[in-house]
Amino acid sequence: MAEGPKKKPRPVPVPTNFTKAFWEGTKQGKLLLQRCRACGTHQYYPRPVCMRCISRDLEWKEASGRGTVYSYTVTHLPPEGFEGREPYVLVSVDLPEGVRVLGTLLGVAAADVRIGMPVRASYERLTDDITLVQFAAERQGGTPA
Amino acid sequence: MKRRDVAIVGYYETKFERRSGRSIYDVAGEAAAGALAHAGIKKGEVDGVAVNSTLSNTAEPFWSNRVCDALGLVPRWLEMSDIGGASGIGNVARAALAIREGWCSAVLVLSADVPSTTQQVRYSGYRPEFQEPYGVQGPPGLFGLLQRRYAAQYPLKVEALAKIAMVQREHALLNPNAIFKQPMSLDDYLKSRIVSDPLRLLDSVMYCDGGAALVVTSAERAQKLGASAVYPVSYAEITNFNGDDPAPDITETGFSVVGPAALAQAEMTARDVQQFHPYDDFTIAVLMQLEQIGFCHRGEGSRFVLDTDLSYTGTLPLNTGGGQLSAGQPGLAGGMVNFVEAVRQLRGEAAGRQVPNPRNAVVTGIGVVPFIRNWGTSAVMVLEV
Repeated sequence: MAEGPKKKPRPVPVPTNFTKAFWEGTKQGKLLLQRCRACGTHQYYPRPVCMRCISRDLEWKEASGRGTVYSYTVTHLPPEGFEGREPYVLVSVDLPEGVRVLGTLLGVAAADVRIGMPVRASYERLTDDITLVQFAAERQGGTPA
Repeated sequence: MKRRDVAIVGYYETKFERRSGRSIYDVAGEAAAGALAHAGIKKGEVDGVAVNSTLSNTAEPFWSNRVCDALGLVPRWLEMSDIGGASGIGNVARAALAIREGWCSAVLVLSADVPSTTQQVRYSGYRPEFQEPYGVQGPPGLFGLLQRRYAAQYPLKVEALAKIAMVQREHALLNPNAIFKQPMSLDDYLKSRIVSDPLRLLDSVMYCDGGAALVVTSAERAQKLGASAVYPVSYAEITNFNGDDPAPDITETGFSVVGPAALAQAEMTARDVQQFHPYDDFTIAVLMQLEQIGFCHRGEGSRFVLDTDLSYTGTLPLNTGGGQLSAGQPGLAGGMVNFVEAVRQLRGEAAGRQVPNPRNAVVTGIGVVPFIRNWGTSAVMVLEV
């Protein structure tokens, strides 16, 4: 077989001036959400303004990291950079702060995932500078979200 | 109030093919020349042009000017839409505005894209930072999340999604320009590869190369041309529905707003719709549009699909050319696939699959996938003869 084009590497986030604090947080194992000081709305992903009221008066608040699965999909045909990792479970997770976060549910077999199941943030170090927020099953008997 | 002061007077669709090796300019040139010939309008009479952003030529910041240069077009009004798959339908609506305003009188709505030959996409915003690093397989990944959530809130029958795919495939077999030429059985559907569970390969579109163009002018001019005119009598569009809510119900879409609005403006209800040509990137999007536009209530989409004859001779003909699912998706020109078929039907030119006594059609557009919700732009247009 002819040699194919070079495989693309897994994409690594490049922080911007207003997302830098978020990525500093994940390096320390913290999930930081923006909270609007004007209207109290939390939001994820970080934005330059409050998505609700467009105030620029935003502060960073640490989330507990506990949440519940809002939806999930099992990836069998991965994009470039993720070949060989399939099948993996993408989840959207609702946090009690009223935001929804996208991540991968690690350590849970696809057949065992359920909408509504409790999960908690876990952290996957990609490089010296970048740690991703992922999710893991909340242990039975853990503090309820 | 319904409008009949602007008309679509010609159309043309290029061959849809995989990896054509064609330049987007060549596809655009063919579509433009074909539509003008079909409309009986000379190139020099075109004083408005509307194009859309692409997957194959996005690095070019001046596509709308560049294509006018290539084609020798001299518009007094020029539009470039970047609402993805809703760009074609949106450009027809924008052309109508420009014509009413008197800025131009004959608009070429031109879409071309060759994503199966080349792509130059570089996404920005949340995508490289908060989506791609998690291994989301683009639209199928996000529609997998959407379909799973819908199925948790409402009864979803896999047979209904299969029927959408199968009816459209039957229609594609009657469309010489459709990419997919093989019949599809329920077994084929059920056995098709799971891409992003619960989404199957046969729930999904496939990129091809191609383009299409429409000519839009005033109703007065259409009469002078003696053209077989199709009237865009109503239109409604919304972008970033629920986009100010950090955790919305993703099973509610912009169609819940623009579907009823477009029907009301056309002075009709869903029962009056004779043909339905919804944007069909995924089967679940078709089912959800049926509910949200008002053909049935929330959660009744599966039952409605299974109980309704959706063939071109049925009670609600669905994407009679095969839709993008079976005719092919020429990238961001994809929305024109559904639109051109509706115009073709209303002119009585859908040989071999003609809906009897065509009077009206509802066409929709879906554009762009936002951050873990459903879709960015929802657009609905009612067409009448």
